[in-house]
Amino acid sequence: MINRLKLLKKIFSGYIIQDEADVNNFNKIITESKKDLNKLNFMKKSVVKTTISKKFIIILPQNPGCDINANQKLGCPMRKKPGSQAKLKKDVLEQSLCTGCGACVGLCPYQVVYRDRTVQLHDCDLTDGKCYAFCPRTPADYGQIRESLFDVSDVTPEIGAVKGYHLSRAADPALRAKAQHGGTVTALLGVAMAESLIDSAIVSSRNEELEQEGRLVEAKSQLCDYAKSKFTVSPTVAAFNRLMGDTAGKVGVVTTPCQALALAKMKTARINDDGKINPLNLVIGLFCGWTLSVESFNRLLQQYQISPEAVTGMDIPAGKNVLEIYTKASATSVPMVEVDACVRTACRYCIDSTAEFADLSVGAARFGGDCDEMCGWNQIIVRSEFGKQLMELAVARGALEIREAPASALQDLKNAAAEKKRKALKNIVEKSRSVKNLLYLSSDDPVVRKYLDAGTKQRS
Amino acid sequence: MKRTRQKETKNLILTGVGGQGNVMASRTLAGMLVDAGYIVTIGETFGMSQRGGSVMSHLRISPDSVKSPQIPRGEADVIVALEPLEALRVLTVYGNPQVCVLSNARPAYPIGVITGELSYPSGENIQVAFQRLSKAFWIIDATSAALALGNPVLSNIVMIGALAKTGLLPIDRRMFEKEIKKTLAADKCAVNLKAYDAGGGMIK
Amino acid sequence: MTKLLSPAKSKVLFLGNEAIARGALEAGVSVATGYPGTPSSEVIESLAHVASERNLYVEWSVNEKVALEVAAAASFAGLRSMAVMKQNGVNVASDFLLHLTASGTRGGLVLVSCEDPGALSSVNEGESRYFARMLEMPLLEPSDFQEAKDLTKWAFELSEQIGNVVMLRSVTRMSHASGNVICGKLPVKSRKAHFEYDGSVMDSSRGPMISTPVVAKHLLHQEKLKDIEALFEKSPFNRYVGPGKPELLIITSSACFLYAEEAVEMLGLQKRVGILKLGTTWPLPPKLLEKHLRKTKKILIVEEVLPFLEENVKVLAASLVSRIGINTFYGKYDEMLPSAGELNPDIVAAALCHILKVKRKTLPANYLNDSQKAAALIPVREQTFCAGCPHRASFWNIHNAIALDGRKGFVCGDIGCYSMAALSPATGYHTMPTLHSMGSGTGLASGFAKLAQFGLDQPILTVCGDSTFYHAVIPALINAQHNRADITFIVLDNAGTAMTGFQPHPGLAISAMKEVVPAVDIAAICSAIGAKVAVSDPFDLETTGKILTSFLADKGLLKVLILRQACALSPEKKGKKIFDVKVNESLCLGDACGCNRLCTRVFRCPALTWDRTTKKAVVDEVICAGCGVCVSICPQKAIIKL
Repeated sequence: MINRLKLLKKIFSGYIIQDEADVNNFNKIITESKKDLNKLNFMKKSVVKTTISKKFIIILPQNPGCDINANQKLGCPMRKKPGSQAKLKKDVLEQSLCTGCGACVGLCPYQVVYRDRTVQLHDCDLTDGKCYAFCPRTPADYGQIRESLFDVSDVTPEIGAVKGYHLSRAADPALRAKAQHGGTVTALLGVAMAESLIDSAIVSSRNEELEQEGRLVEAKSQLCDYAKSKFTVSPTVAAFNRLMGDTAGKVGVVTTPCQALALAKMKTARINDDGKINPLNLVIGLFCGWTLSVESFNRLLQQYQISPEAVTGMDIPAGKNVLEIYTKASATSVPMVEVDACVRTACRYCIDSTAEFADLSVGAARFGGDCDEMCGWNQIIVRSEFGKQLMELAVARGALEIREAPASALQDLKNAAAEKKRKALKNIVEKSRSVKNLLYLSSDDPVVRKYLDAGTKQRS
Repeated sequence: MKRTRQKETKNLILTGVGGQGNVMASRTLAGMLVDAGYIVTIGETFGMSQRGGSVMSHLRISPDSVKSPQIPRGEADVIVALEPLEALRVLTVYGNPQVCVLSNARPAYPIGVITGELSYPSGENIQVAFQRLSKAFWIIDATSAALALGNPVLSNIVMIGALAKTGLLPIDRRMFEKEIKKTLAADKCAVNLKAYDAGGGMIK
Repeated sequence: MTKLLSPAKSKVLFLGNEAIARGALEAGVSVATGYPGTPSSEVIESLAHVASERNLYVEWSVNEKVALEVAAAASFAGLRSMAVMKQNGVNVASDFLLHLTASGTRGGLVLVSCEDPGALSSVNEGESRYFARMLEMPLLEPSDFQEAKDLTKWAFELSEQIGNVVMLRSVTRMSHASGNVICGKLPVKSRKAHFEYDGSVMDSSRGPMISTPVVAKHLLHQEKLKDIEALFEKSPFNRYVGPGKPELLIITSSACFLYAEEAVEMLGLQKRVGILKLGTTWPLPPKLLEKHLRKTKKILIVEEVLPFLEENVKVLAASLVSRIGINTFYGKYDEMLPSAGELNPDIVAAALCHILKVKRKTLPANYLNDSQKAAALIPVREQTFCAGCPHRASFWNIHNAIALDGRKGFVCGDIGCYSMAALSPATGYHTMPTLHSMGSGTGLASGFAKLAQFGLDQPILTVCGDSTFYHAVIPALINAQHNRADITFIVLDNAGTAMTGFQPHPGLAISAMKEVVPAVDIAAICSAIGAKVAVSDPFDLETTGKILTSFLADKGLLKVLILRQACALSPEKKGKKIFDVKVNESLCLGDACGCNRLCTRVFRCPALTWDRTTKKAVVDEVICAGCGVCVSICPQKAIIKL
């Protein structure tokens, strides 16, 4: 029964395993090859040797590269450490931390946005990828980024750098009528374009199914077409990434807090190839409490028999605790409890409500406070020197009106922002089940430490 | 040139990558030899193996009898390869110290090499292997010669021309011409003869 | 004049399948049908070429069962006819075959099954020899090219003698091997067709062609089979070579005879080993077997794949034991030879070495050592879609749509070149995890789609080729529609039966004999059963991608996407580039972040290679078919159409 022909399976690279002598030879090659690391890797990648019984040894070709996962399962890792893309998947996408900002999209063919989800189309095995570096939900030294972009003396723990704080609105009443609140963002962009501080602007635009995309606007006259709050996330940074290849001029981007952070990471990241980020000249941030998941929000609309394409605007009127949804024919009030259920999971782990990494941040005047006097106005936080210059220029050109906010307004805003930080950190700790693991944040960051302490104290 | 009649069975393996005209080359060779009175058996696999995979034809050229369509391991007398890696692949299974190898120089990279997971052996390594594993070998750039004639697929005919010149098989130009006149459209014969001659010119 | 019609006595090099075709011509075949399948296709193809010259009717039928039915009709009308298929085709035809053997035939009817031990170009290595035993059909197996011709010719005579269908079994190494054949005479006259049915029910030459009365006809058939057995005793296709008293008797058939002969010669065992080669393997001729089994005590049975011959010989030997004594049998049951995969001379030689305790000459140790070192340098050459293959673009689209959808959708596969999407998973971008028989993809998809009630929430896709659609998909598709299966069914329409060599199918306006015939429109069939139908060009990634994502999101119904683009190897496309494509090196990002070799690492077209020195993609002009799809996928627009 022994020494007998058992199995003949040709196979590996023309080497035919045919009898026991062959199997022995094969084993010998493997042993000998161990001396030579390259050969060993080749062998490991090329064949799978499976002993399925005492009698049979089957040697099958492993088509290397055709199934990286299979190779890994077989103990033949294709790469020494997981690539950036795999880390992005593990640390961000699978943790429901993805904000849908689009920072990892448009840089390469691998990540795309589909129905406000970030999808990894194919595997990429690079280890120092921009996707991971730019993502606003991957760990980074956020204190360092703050320091490199702003005057340290301006930085507040609640709302980031503050060079100035005002109420503002567009001087043009027609523009205000089209805008969500005071039309400040549109007015600022208009001035920046008119004065050639930027050549074009990237704003967000939504399609019929309430999916958003970043849109490049190159004419001032088109700006107000996009001047409304959207409530769903827009992969604006993706548009920035994509358009960078095509545009030579300077660009202004209107962003949510997560998007502003992504752009800040791009500006400060060590991976900054070919000066692609250089055209970025202006970031105008929008205050943001949360965004809605398109899929669940569309389901909610369905319940109220509103077709997504009919929606002309949305607002959260002060004090009513409802979301008003406008169509040409009607206005529908949806209780905030129901809307809350549609909030993107990632937003629950966000500590930034005022776009702390922008040049200027703009929001509804009632954000934080609630005051009739402020209705129709925006709050504006001036953060960077450039932001300050732009605002002053806009005022000087008569495009923007500003006035001092009521004394309590700034504190109200800070309180609201601090509350969001506490809540988010609490949610993070609940998710990671450890105060030591803050996902993308670190307790080395003094801002994080402050609200984390407060949060944990409150709980105890 | 008059060839002496061979007395023993000759085992020839023609190998390459799907789409290189391997089957056409083996049938042309076999047709020439049948005409010369030999009993020829060709073993081929085609079908799926055409799709970018390795292809191999086994030719048994016998003065008197039908042979197994599969040559036993280590029993090839001549290996003709339209692709150098395939020459090596066949050589390591069917080679012996007496085997002669005629190989095209131009690689066709396997997908695993293109993707970067595998390495294609260097030209130098291939030569060293040929040297160690054969009695004699020739490496010729048949694809470039075929491209010069306007169609890369003619490289199979370039190889036949070169094979005839090596004297390893009892074949000559007259036999080739007679065979292609039977199997090819008349307008194609001239360019095939050119390819045949180009091949012969590459063997010194 | 084609080679197939060479005059009598000429010595020609025939492919095994051509030899079978020639044999049929010499027998005066009138009707030949089949469904393309490697390694069988060349029989019908070569007959189609000479159809008008020889006044034949040659048909590529919609599937093997219909092929056999069309051939049987000719037989019933008194003509000689033949149906040709690959091994699993016999399974498709088997329901009709069961009833056909029961009703009997008139004009000689030969069923040719070309099988594929080792699955060299199949996804199975099925055996159809068991059908011969199960359905009581005489079985013939040629073991060289001359026999392939001669046995085929004889099979027709035998069929008429027994009034029933005769099976001729070939294998890849016979069908796709070539060898010398001496031609016989081609008949001058052809028969006239007429179907008689007025005779008595038991009169197989004049009565109705039915299987009833079942038992009576069955008994009659078995009686005739006894006559056949007697004929087989004297058949020249069964012969013995070797010494009068061999130490070991090899009993073998088909290509295995050549392996056995070679192995005996290689080991110099001609004086110790005898070979009984059988051309008629069912029913076995008992007297002939008895004569040879008496010669020795050791018997090795060499066959592919399962121990069919071994079982039959052992059953016979058991009944003869009082006369021949007790023998030792070697074969599959004792694992002397493997019962999976194909054999070759080396395997047979190894078995002989073991049984007779001899050693095969080996190569010098240093040579073997060098050889194995060289072998370690050789990368595998994975099969893949050809350059310019529409399937690559189709699976690229499918993969992307599944990834975007995000619910881990999958494709139920089917049989064709696109099967490679399952065989080497990266070729289909890991989308196709099931692969069975023709049409089964749609049947499986129809089933998966009904599992929603048990929690399955993955989108279900399935693919089939244009030829496969007609062959076996239509019933499954109707099943899906009728049972409200939510599936996305994709027809990879590459305008022909591409894998087996561009045989026409019902979707094309041309027949096997190059006549103009009505084309049956796939889209119209799908619309008629109520499916939502779209047509697109797989090379148009944007449009195709949009349709696919919308189909996956469109729940609750049967959606059909027909992706039309001719095969890159099709006669109209081969050798002609649509575009000249090249890489603009200054734009190519190579393996840098931002691309990381999407074209060479992920897209995997064999015409796009990676230059490790310049770190740029390169188009290999010799391999490139100029489809231009890589131009659409390059994120840098670095691949350009000239």
